[in-house]
Amino acid sequence: MKKFVRRSVVTASMVSMLALAACADEATESEDEGDDGGEETAEEGDDEDDDSEEADDEDDIEVDEDVQSDEVVDLEDFDQIKDEGGDEILDDGSMNVAIVSDSPFEGILNWNFYFGTHDSQILSWFDEPLLQWDEDFVYNQEGAATYEVSEDNLTYTFEINEDVNWHDGEPVTAEDWQFAYEVIADPDYTGMRYGEDIMNVEGVVEYHEGEADEISGIEVIDDKTMEITFLEANPSIVTGGIWNYPLAKHIFEDIPIDEMEESDEVRQNPIGFGPYEVEDIVPGESVALSRNDDYWRGTPGLEEVTLQIVDPNVVANSLRSGDIDYATSFPADQYVDHMDADNLDFLATTDRAYTYIGFKLGEWDADAGENVMDDDAKMADVELRQAMGHAVDDEAIGENFYDGLRWDGTTLIPPSHPEFHDEDNPGLEYDVERANQLLDEAGYEDVTGDGFREDPEGEELVISFASMEGGDTAEPVAQYYIQSWEQVGLNVELLDGRLHEFNAFYDMVEEDEESIDVYQAAWTVGIDPDPGSLYGRTSPSNYSRYVSEENDEILAEGLSEEAFDVEYRQEVYNEWQEYMAENVPVFPTVYRAQVDAMNERVTNTSIGDGTGVYLYEIGVTEEEPVTE
Amino acid sequence: MWKFIIRRIIIMFPQLVLLSVIVFILAQMMPGDALTGMALDPDMDPAQLEAMREDLGLNDPWYIQYFSWLGGVLQGDFGQSVAHALPVSDLIWVRLVNTFWLSLMSLFFVYILALPLGLISGRWNDTIADRIITGYTYIGFAAPLFIFALIMLFVFGFQLGWFPTGGSVEANTGGGLAYFWSKVYHLILPSLSLALIGTVTTVQYLRSEVIETKQKEFILTARAKGVPEQKVYTGHVFRNSLLPIAAVFGYEIAALISGSVFVERIFSYPGMGQLFLESIQIRDFSVVTALVLLFGVAAIIGALLSDIILSIVDPRIRIK
Repeated sequence: MKKFVRRSVVTASMVSMLALAACADEATESEDEGDDGGEETAEEGDDEDDDSEEADDEDDIEVDEDVQSDEVVDLEDFDQIKDEGGDEILDDGSMNVAIVSDSPFEGILNWNFYFGTHDSQILSWFDEPLLQWDEDFVYNQEGAATYEVSEDNLTYTFEINEDVNWHDGEPVTAEDWQFAYEVIADPDYTGMRYGEDIMNVEGVVEYHEGEADEISGIEVIDDKTMEITFLEANPSIVTGGIWNYPLAKHIFEDIPIDEMEESDEVRQNPIGFGPYEVEDIVPGESVALSRNDDYWRGTPGLEEVTLQIVDPNVVANSLRSGDIDYATSFPADQYVDHMDADNLDFLATTDRAYTYIGFKLGEWDADAGENVMDDDAKMADVELRQAMGHAVDDEAIGENFYDGLRWDGTTLIPPSHPEFHDEDNPGLEYDVERANQLLDEAGYEDVTGDGFREDPEGEELVISFASMEGGDTAEPVAQYYIQSWEQVGLNVELLDGRLHEFNAFYDMVEEDEESIDVYQAAWTVGIDPDPGSLYGRTSPSNYSRYVSEENDEILAEGLSEEAFDVEYRQEVYNEWQEYMAENVPVFPTVYRAQVDAMNERVTNTSIGDGTGVYLYEIGVTEEEPVTE
Repeated sequence: MWKFIIRRIIIMFPQLVLLSVIVFILAQMMPGDALTGMALDPDMDPAQLEAMREDLGLNDPWYIQYFSWLGGVLQGDFGQSVAHALPVSDLIWVRLVNTFWLSLMSLFFVYILALPLGLISGRWNDTIADRIITGYTYIGFAAPLFIFALIMLFVFGFQLGWFPTGGSVEANTGGGLAYFWSKVYHLILPSLSLALIGTVTTVQYLRSEVIETKQKEFILTARAKGVPEQKVYTGHVFRNSLLPIAAVFGYEIAALISGSVFVERIFSYPGMGQLFLESIQIRDFSVVTALVLLFGVAAIIGALLSDIILSIVDPRIRIK
C-alpha cells in the first residue's frame, strides 16, 4: 500500500493506527460514551436469551428493530461537494475548525516527520504536497508541480510552478525537494518515512548506507525542475510512490538531522506553502492561522482560521451551538442524532477502509520472512470458511448497528477505489441455505445431536472467535456473528468469553496465538490498490497467513509492466477479488462512510479525493456562525 | 524538628524505588508496546521494526530495562516518548505547568468554599443552614467526580454557554493580559468541578472541629470573661479548629492531582492526567512510568508536608 496524505483526511502512513479503525476510534472513548448510543446495547440481552439450542428460527437472530432508532441513512443521500453558487463569500471571514480527538495533537508539524493523523489535518491547512491526485488517486497535473514520464516509465521530470513560494517569501525549489529525499534517506533521520517507496529511487540505499555522497537518482536541473529515476517501474509510483513534500532547505540546512524533529522550526514556527500561515500554536490544543496572500492558486477564502482539538463527545454540541464551524471526521455513530440540526450540513463519502473477518490458516515464519500455511488448521477447509461467510447478514449489521453508515462489504478492494473495486462481484452473499448446504457437502454434520455440527471426522468442533472491544456496538456485533454461525450449526465461542482490548487483540493476532481460529479486524487501505502488503506471501500483516502460488502470481501481475495499462490492471484485480472471495482467507463484512459536518455558513468545500475543490476555496457566507 | 523531616525524607526513597519497580513490572505485563501500533502498518518492514525494538531496548528483560532507566532518571533523563518524539521530561513539563495551575485554582476554591461553609455549619449546628450544608457534603461524598464534572460541563459549558468547553487557553490571544485571562477563564469550570467535590471532606472536618472546640473549657472561660460572641469564634474557636485542616492540606494536594485525571479528560484539558491516559492507551511506557513516579512523589511529598505542618502546629507529634 502506498502511503499518502489526503487533504484533511487520515493519512495512509498510519495504516497501522487505522487498523484500529474497526474500534479504536471508539475504543479510546468507551468510558464516557454511554450517553449517546445506549440503544444498541439494549438488544444484546434479548438476543442472548434467544440463544436457544434449536436455533432454527431465523427470526431469532434478527435484531429487534423497535429498540433501534429507525433512521437508516444511505451514502447516496449525501453530497460530496458543497458550493452554493449564489452566496457571496465574505472577504474577511474567519472559521473555527475542530480536529476531533480525545487527546492533544502531537505537534510534529512537518510532512517529513509527522506521524499522527491530527498533525496531518493541521498540516494540510498550511502546507501541501507538490503533486495533486485525481479521484482514482493517480497524480495529475493540477498540483504545484507537474510531471512527465519517460518512455521506460523509470524517469520522472517535475516542474514546480513559478508562483509557489514558502510563507517567508523564498521560492519552493527543486533543491528543497531533493533535500527532503536526502534527509529521509539519511541514517540519522528520526521519522518513519524511510520505506520501500523512498528506496525505490535510484541511489537512495547507497546514500543511506553511507556509500554515496548524494542520491544518484535525483537530479536538480534548474531552480524549479527536478528529475527522479526509479529502480523499478511499476504503476504504484504514480499512485503515491513519489515523496513530494519538499523541506525548506534555507531553514533546515543548519539543523542537524537528528534534531530536526524536535526543533522549533517543526514544533513552534512551522513553515509551508499552503493557503494559510501559522500564527500561533498552543501545544496540543490549537493552531491559529491567517491567510497567505501569496498562495499560488489564488487568494484563500478566509482571513483567519482557528484549528482546535475537540473531544468526540462534545463535537456535535459544539457544532450546534456554533462554537465550531467545521469538523472533519465527524463521529459517524452520532450522525443520526444530529442529522436534523437546523444549522448543520453534512458531506460524506466512502472511507478507504473495511472491516473483515479473518481465518487463521498458518503462521508467520520470521526467519524465512514469509507466511506459512498449516494444512491441519481448524479453518483449513475452504467450504467451512465459505459457509461462515454466507451465514452472516452484513447489510443488517450496517443498518441496525451503524444506521446505514456502514454497509455490506463485498470484495477486498473497497469502493473508495472506484477504478478497481469490482461492483459486479457480490462477494459472499447472505444465504443461510447455501451455508448449510456447503457444510453438509463438506461432511460437517451433527452426529451427536446436540444442535452443533461435528467436523468430518466426527470430532467436536468448537471455533474460537477473537474480536476487539470498542464503543457500544462491539459486543452486540460480535454476539450477532456468533449467533449467525450458530444458525448454521457451528459452535463458535468468543475467545476467553470476552472482547479484547485493542493492543492485546493485535498482539495475539500478530503472534498467531493458537487459540484464535477466527477474528474480526479492520484495515484502512492506502491509495494504491495493490493488496500485496496486506495479503502477500512476505507480508507480516497478512494475518490470516494464507498463501498460494496463484495469489502470488496475480499480485505480481498487478504490479507488472503490463499493469501500466489501467484496463489490464483492472482485470487483474477483478480476478484477485474473485479469487479471494472463492478462497476466503478473510471476507469483508462492512464498508464505511466518512462524514464531515459543518455550519450552514461554510461553503466551497468537499470531502474525498479528486473533487476538484481545493482547500483554499473554503469560505463563509455570513459574519457569525448560524446557531440553532 | 530537622531530624524528623530528614528521617521522613530518607524513608521516602525506598518507597519511591518500590513504586518504580511495581510500575515497571506492571508495564511489562501489559500486552503490546509503543511499537505495536506501528507494526500494524503493512509498509513497516518487520526487520526495521525489530531493529527499532532492539535500539529502544524493548527486547531486554525488565530488570535490565529497569536499571538502564534508573540510571537515566538519576541523571534527570526520563527517556524518550515514542509517540511524541520528544524527551519525556520536555513533554511532561508542558503538561505539568497546566496541571499545576489547575490544582492551584482548585485548591483556592476548596478553601474559599470550605472555610465559610465549615464555620457556619459548625457554629450554628443543627440549624437549617447547617442541614443544607451537611446535605451538600453528603451529596458531594456520594457523587462520583466524573459524573459531576460531566454535568457541570453540560450545564455551564453547553446549555448556558458561560464557559469554554475544552482546552486550556484560547488560540491566538497574542500573549499578555489577554492570554492570562483566557487561561483563568478556561480554568474556572474544571477547577470548580474539582473543588465542589473535593471540598466536602474539609467542610466536614471543620464543622466537627468547630463543634468540638466550642464546647471546650477555654471557650467557656472566654465567654465567662465576657468576650463578645463574634470574637470568641474568630479569636479562639476558629484558630483552634484550623489545626486539622492545616494537617490535611498536603493530602489534599495529592488528591487533587489524582482527581485531575478525570477532570482533565472530561474538559479536554491538556495536563498530566490526560497525558497519562493517552500514554497508557498507546503504550508509551516511558511516559507512563515517569508520570506514575511523579504522581507517587506528589503523594509522598503531600503526606510529608502534612506531617511537617502537623508537627509544627502540634509538637506532640514530633515525639516518637
